[in-house]
Amino acid sequence: MYRNRRSRLVGLAYLAPALIFVLVFTVYPLGQMVWMSFHNWSLITPPVWVGLSNYRRMLGDDQFWTSFVFTLKYTALITPPLIVGGYLLALLTATNTPLRRVTRTVVFIPVVIGLGVSSLLWYWLFSADFGLVNRALLDIGLIDEPILWLGVDADTSNFAISASVVWKVIGFGMILFIGAIQAIPSEITEASLVDGASYRQRVTRVVLPLTMRTVLLVTLVSVIGSLLAFDQFYIMTAGQPQNETATSTFYVYLNSFPYLKLGYGAALSMVLAVTILAFTVVQLLLTRRSHA
Amino acid sequence: MRTRQRWPILVAATLLVAACGQESETPDVDQNAVATTSCASSGELTMWERSGGNKAMVDMLVEAWNTKNPDCKIKLTYIPHTEMVGKIAQGIASGEVPDLMGMDLIYAPQFEKAQQLVDLTDRIKDWPELKTASKGHMTVATFEDRLYGVPLYADVSALFYNKDLFQRAGLDPNKPPTSLPELRAYADKITALGGDVKGYYLPGNCAGCNIFTVGPLMWASGAKIEAANKGDEPLVGDGVKQVLQFTRDMVKAGNVHDGDRAENGETFHLQFGSGKVGMMGTGNFNITLAREQNPKMNFGVALLPGMTAGSSASFIGGDLVVVPKGSKRVADAVNVMKFLLSDDVQVEVYAKALNLTTRSDMVNNKYFQAEPLVQDVAKALEVGRTPYTLTFFEQINSPQGPWLKMLQRAYYSDDSLDTIISDAKKEMKAIADQS
Repeated sequence: MYRNRRSRLVGLAYLAPALIFVLVFTVYPLGQMVWMSFHNWSLITPPVWVGLSNYRRMLGDDQFWTSFVFTLKYTALITPPLIVGGYLLALLTATNTPLRRVTRTVVFIPVVIGLGVSSLLWYWLFSADFGLVNRALLDIGLIDEPILWLGVDADTSNFAISASVVWKVIGFGMILFIGAIQAIPSEITEASLVDGASYRQRVTRVVLPLTMRTVLLVTLVSVIGSLLAFDQFYIMTAGQPQNETATSTFYVYLNSFPYLKLGYGAALSMVLAVTILAFTVVQLLLTRRSHA
Repeated sequence: MRTRQRWPILVAATLLVAACGQESETPDVDQNAVATTSCASSGELTMWERSGGNKAMVDMLVEAWNTKNPDCKIKLTYIPHTEMVGKIAQGIASGEVPDLMGMDLIYAPQFEKAQQLVDLTDRIKDWPELKTASKGHMTVATFEDRLYGVPLYADVSALFYNKDLFQRAGLDPNKPPTSLPELRAYADKITALGGDVKGYYLPGNCAGCNIFTVGPLMWASGAKIEAANKGDEPLVGDGVKQVLQFTRDMVKAGNVHDGDRAENGETFHLQFGSGKVGMMGTGNFNITLAREQNPKMNFGVALLPGMTAGSSASFIGGDLVVVPKGSKRVADAVNVMKFLLSDDVQVEVYAKALNLTTRSDMVNNKYFQAEPLVQDVAKALEVGRTPYTLTFFEQINSPQGPWLKMLQRAYYSDDSLDTIISDAKKEMKAIADQS
């Protein structure tokens, strides 16, 4: 009995650092956010308890719904090219020939650049007056006058930003897919070859099913990243035109900092957190099923 | 057991240390100390300032103070303009504030109301320098008859016009427009020159640029824009609709470049110097910038007009210098203010750098006399105003705010102007009601 208790205490002692870390950096801030969402608090005045008023206000806030729906649309738009594109690049570069290694490196390099930096870079590339994109398109005769890529038309802006994010992020998925593809035992690939399977059949019936867990993992990471999109929209359009490209996180930022409405910002964050949690649960269930 | 016995001692010691610590953080409270332009006590003074403002000017002012006061130099920290309000609020909430700070003047009322700035009334109210200090700055430095700051630097908006293009279009380069109908007629002629030249400029995606340059057109036309506080009516007067109609007509007539729609403020300061714009509302800072960018361009500066001939207005922007609650060096912060308003600094730092003086009686100085454009732009201080509201960012400056939304709908859609104004009015009122 004594030894059991002692070993439990030793076990707890081993766990303690990680437990304290989680309590301090995850549980406490989350609790603080929930607490804030029930208050009106500007940081420069004391917090005032308002109950569910922030949540009620959110339901009637057109800008909240606009940004929430836009974030979902952006996520739906950008996730397929990231997954399909990343997978195709992985298939093309999975084997280790020098040319493929170079391609892999070139595609991966943008991943190590910060999102803020890459957004600024693309902001200038897409500039109507000074941008290289318009210059190139004009020079090769594809357009007659510069296109206003950012902040004028919502669809054009969304397309331009999505293109810049695909450029920035696609290498991340590619690397994970390459790892998964290379982890397939060579016996399985050889057996499919002996059975006379074509390349397409090998990919669809052997490689894809065996890498499905990685596909789901990359999808989960992409979806979460897209639902939290901020930097690229903050830098490239600031939500324009007419707030049609404002993401949920951008709206949280605006309320929490420039507007100094921390309580409302916290309530908005809660909704975003619950949405991401819902997506994560679905993805995890799918992952478990694919594993089974 | 021994550990338990130590607890009360430890707690008492901790409380004692905390109490001592708090004692040492109490700011100097000698209200009767006479302000000078030198140090009251030695040791570094900490100051925060936004990086998006007039950095070169603030650097020069700090350098001037540091040269004169080597025993209490100012240690200046720049904070990105967009993060300044949040950073100040965090500093206040955590008790980590500088001794003094530069603050974008339009945000001052919010912090004054929250009682987060040191009330300086008894220390500075009798200063003769304040009688001629920029009215716009002093308006927002005052809350319920108490004074919280003095001007750090001033930016005013005015109408810049390209004399070369005026000449090419057959207009008299010495006669800028004095009303909006006249401005429209001039713009038509300049646009008719063709090529890449346009008569006017509208920053289509920048809320701040528009309150700086289109706001005065409304004020000059007798309108009021912002809701000052709860229950106040925004967008009052015929001038609102008249100016929106004027801007819509300018866009539809092709008097502004298509690319202006995407202008979010990043390249606003470079537009006039490009030489492709006939007339443009911009700020005093553009005199030097345009000269650097386009040395051969001949241009003039006039006041931003309203609907009727001779009416004019300007936006007085810039920064205040204020003292946050918790400052440990209030007396020296006040001395810095006295220094900034002194005759010598007004002339030998502000005017010498061709920046506006923050006192109107200092405009007649040798440096401005040698630079007529600065003299012209300085006239804006007399007709200028600074909006006074507790929710300036939400109503006006935010890219998500009703001000920019209203302007964009007016510029680029065919929606009824009455509907556009009514929608914006509703949103502005709702924001002010939450203040």
